[in-house]
Amino acid sequence: MSQEYEITYKAKNDYESPVNNAHWQFLIIPEQNLTQELISVDFTNSINAYNEYSVNGQGFNTIRVQPKTAFENIVFTGSFKVRKHVVNPFDQLNDMSPVAEYDLIKTLDFKVDHEPFLRFTPLTTLPVDHEPSYVFNFGKSIFENLQELNTWIFDSFEYVPAVTNVKTTLKEIIALKQGVCQDFAHLFCALCRRNSIPARYVSGYLHQGNGYIGDTQMHAWAEAFIPTMGWVGFDPTNNILASGDHIKVAHGKDYSDCPPLRGVVYSMGKNETTHSVEVLSQQQ
Amino acid sequence: MLARVANNLFWMGRYIERSEHIARYLNVNYFSSLDASNTLSQSRQFVLRSMLFLVGEKIEDPNTILNEEEVLYKIGLNPDSPHSILNNIKNARENANSARDLISTELYESLNKFYHFSLNYPVDTFVKNGLYDFTTNITEMSSVLRGKIRDTLLHDEVYAIIMMGMNIERATQITRIINSKYNDALKAQMDCGQELGKSFEWTTLLKCTESYDMMRRFYKKTPTSISTLEFLILNPKCPRSVMSSLNQVYHHILLLDTNKYYNKSSTAFLVGKVRCEYQYKHIEEIEGDIKAFIENILESLNQVSIKMEKEFFNY
Amino acid sequence: MSNIENGTFSSYLRNPSLFDEIYDENGSIKMVYQKLFDHFGSHTVKDFVQLNNKAKASFFNQGITFQVYGENETKEKIFPFDLFPRIIDAKEWDIIERGSIQRSKALNLFLWDIYHEKKIIKQGIVPMELISSSNNYLHQMIDLDPPGGIYNHISGTDIIKHSDGKFYVLEDNIRCPSGVSYVISNRTALKRALFGVFNHYLTYTVTDYAENLLDLLESVKPKGVDNPVCVVITPGMYNSAFFEHSYLAKSMGIELVQGSDLFVENDFVYMKTIRGPIKVDVIYRRIDDLFLDPLEFKPDSALGVPGLFAAYLKGNVTLANAPGTGVADDKAVYTYMPEIIKYYLDEEPILNNVKTYHCSRPEELKYVLDHIEELVIKPVDEAGGYGISIGNTLTASEIEKVKAQIKETPRKYVAQPILSLSVHPTYIEQSESFEQRHIDLRTFTVLGKDKEFVLKGGLTRVALKKGNLIVNSSQGGGSKDTWVLKN
Repeated sequence: MSQEYEITYKAKNDYESPVNNAHWQFLIIPEQNLTQELISVDFTNSINAYNEYSVNGQGFNTIRVQPKTAFENIVFTGSFKVRKHVVNPFDQLNDMSPVAEYDLIKTLDFKVDHEPFLRFTPLTTLPVDHEPSYVFNFGKSIFENLQELNTWIFDSFEYVPAVTNVKTTLKEIIALKQGVCQDFAHLFCALCRRNSIPARYVSGYLHQGNGYIGDTQMHAWAEAFIPTMGWVGFDPTNNILASGDHIKVAHGKDYSDCPPLRGVVYSMGKNETTHSVEVLSQQQ
Repeated sequence: MLARVANNLFWMGRYIERSEHIARYLNVNYFSSLDASNTLSQSRQFVLRSMLFLVGEKIEDPNTILNEEEVLYKIGLNPDSPHSILNNIKNARENANSARDLISTELYESLNKFYHFSLNYPVDTFVKNGLYDFTTNITEMSSVLRGKIRDTLLHDEVYAIIMMGMNIERATQITRIINSKYNDALKAQMDCGQELGKSFEWTTLLKCTESYDMMRRFYKKTPTSISTLEFLILNPKCPRSVMSSLNQVYHHILLLDTNKYYNKSSTAFLVGKVRCEYQYKHIEEIEGDIKAFIENILESLNQVSIKMEKEFFNY
Repeated sequence: MSNIENGTFSSYLRNPSLFDEIYDENGSIKMVYQKLFDHFGSHTVKDFVQLNNKAKASFFNQGITFQVYGENETKEKIFPFDLFPRIIDAKEWDIIERGSIQRSKALNLFLWDIYHEKKIIKQGIVPMELISSSNNYLHQMIDLDPPGGIYNHISGTDIIKHSDGKFYVLEDNIRCPSGVSYVISNRTALKRALFGVFNHYLTYTVTDYAENLLDLLESVKPKGVDNPVCVVITPGMYNSAFFEHSYLAKSMGIELVQGSDLFVENDFVYMKTIRGPIKVDVIYRRIDDLFLDPLEFKPDSALGVPGLFAAYLKGNVTLANAPGTGVADDKAVYTYMPEIIKYYLDEEPILNNVKTYHCSRPEELKYVLDHIEELVIKPVDEAGGYGISIGNTLTASEIEKVKAQIKETPRKYVAQPILSLSVHPTYIEQSESFEQRHIDLRTFTVLGKDKEFVLKGGLTRVALKKGNLIVNSSQGGGSKDTWVLKN
């Protein structure tokens, strides 16, 4: 079964006085992978500056814009068409016993190969005095444990838009018991890594037609590496596995590896930025 | 050459030239006023006002009494006054610093010595009895720098840019000095009834531009307004004249200009046009309206500078 | 204590417990220093006062200064220069040179490995923490092949001679090691002040560094480029090493650029010149990794070039040293250098490593706690000399405090025996005489595609404060001209 999505990303920047020197890098183009196929990419900006297609340090596709003339307002619009192929994660299961799984992730080779996604970054560091709130049951498979972790986060934390920002630490979130998708993805990664399971932060789009939580911004979830299955996506904000409605853009150790927009703008006075995202689906 | 560095070199040239002219103006005016032929020209207040006028700080109120040491400090060594000789030298060095890899070690060392000399010059000595020593050293060190620029740099783009800066600045400063002394001559005329054409100030003007000896040799007569202005503005043989500076600017812009064809928006075209205007002017046209001449030439030089910035330093 | 029969040096006091570079094992002045002594003997102390002032003026006029920021004004200062050169004979130099190259090569292979297969870690030779707990390990560099296979194009190795007469390495600097311009300007200053002594010695020149460096930069050009355009990038004229940056650019005859002079378009790097953009192929960068590209690393950095890392990733420009090289000059990596050299080169280290005790290992922790008075305790993750405790300078209560700290987080600490750096006669301004002072040596090694070069000289740093073992300029250190003899 496959489904087509049409994604529109808009960013609008207004400055009080003319800007002569600005650089932006957008990380908003859906990734090409086994479950998603990129059909078309269209990106424009309102002042007709050159849009340069490139990559970032992790190899994901980016668009860089460096206007050569001064401006006060600029609007960026990206439109992408993606075809998703829905894969049942359970199809990927191979028959390794839980014991063998836990033995494997303890080997040096495994740890070395997955070092980047086992590392605690500032945004995925659990507070020192934090009681292990979610405890793995080693009698169960890693996949089962992670599904329960997904549910645990969903049940224990309340989704409250704008209650946190991109710099909020896990310590604050745990104290608050509230957060947004980034925070839950960070928490999921941190608890995976604490249990020696490689996990990465994923930035992407969510089609909300099925009543999922998120907002009209980009969405975030997490992927964990399960030896029997490979990388599997978990969306703790909605207590589901990442599926056809999740359109992945990029992944990284945490949010700071894959913000949708990075900018270096030399400007005077105030400025205002607004973003919006729209995801439409067409059943094939 | 990097556009930023070209800009640095251009301004290094301008600041070196500027500090020299200010220094000499202080020196000549101060010391020739001591035995000037009329009371106004001898007046210390008159001389101090003239000095401030040159660096763009005209004193409007006729009743203001200026303090000599304060004025000298302000124009000479005050690190907080943007026009001071010290700051001009400092700016020259900062610009040289950013372009240090492109200029010769010899030029940099000389400029650096020049800077340390000014920085360490005792302020007390300067305002009390060091004016002659300090300003003479500044003008001599500028000559050394000019020699190092000419003799230790390849005569390529780097050299051409520095020479552009120096000559645009020279034409500007000569014009400003003319303006300042013309203004003094007018005052002397109103105050003491001295005939403008034969004012004592014309001699001082020539000395301020180190052109007195050359002028005497050329005209073999006491300087008058006509002969002085003709010599300092239009005589291409006088290396300090506006005309000679324009010729130099034109010569060096051609080294930078790579336009193979006639391009009316280029700096070279503009410089050529300004140069021709003065090449075929006669002094009576200028003498009739000196004010207009001064405004016109300063504006043209400014336009050249702006054009250069657009064409070469835009980064 | 013994005196020397020589007017200028009659007051030179020799402390026999220190290793003095000018004496041989029998206690007489080494042959190589004898001629220098004879020459200096013909000068009076007054001459030295004058020469010392001349040398200082030479540095001022050359503008070889660094800024000291004070409350009211910024002062320019020179890095103190000592008139008495250090002499290294051909035999000793051979050890230093081979040893420096050996370390640079081993570190390069180590970097390649930890950014590719990571065999040395998987085989358990070095612990995984070397990468997993390092902030300088850049994941962006994983599986990336730097042009020519080189990471640490330029390395600075800090070497000392201990009282046992053997060379020990204190540190490998492979981020942006600086100091090479002082080697060259020290030589210039000494020639100006004491040209006569050069007649007696066959000394290698130090001015060939620039051509070797340019050769190196050209050798690691990106694929498909014939005549590479190389540049040096600097943080700007207010950086303390700006003199060095401009010196290097000038002596290589290439442009010295700042971040704002470059821009990236279609993943190629260009510099803005008076004739429009010119493509840049190789960048000798003197700015740190995290400042290279605000779109990839520190977003608030104005020093770098937006998009530079993407151009590097695409293989369109070479950066020297490569990004991510800093992971190998962490202190923790240093302690494994003998293993690293053995693993990649199958050789014994030519230069000794200072024995290092890892407090994370129980038996070594016990040794450290029992012998703390004889050891230097260093935190593994601090740079710039912070948090170092020298055992024999601590009071009893301080020792207890340090012990408690170590016991609390043993993996944060390593310990090394207290080394006694060799000493060398040094002109001391205050006493207007020559006295013994501790010295070290920084060598500069250039590693290119199929080529390597060690600058025959290096920077001898001297601790000007009596008894001080810390030679850093921030601690009042100076430097000496360093002669490597041809025979």
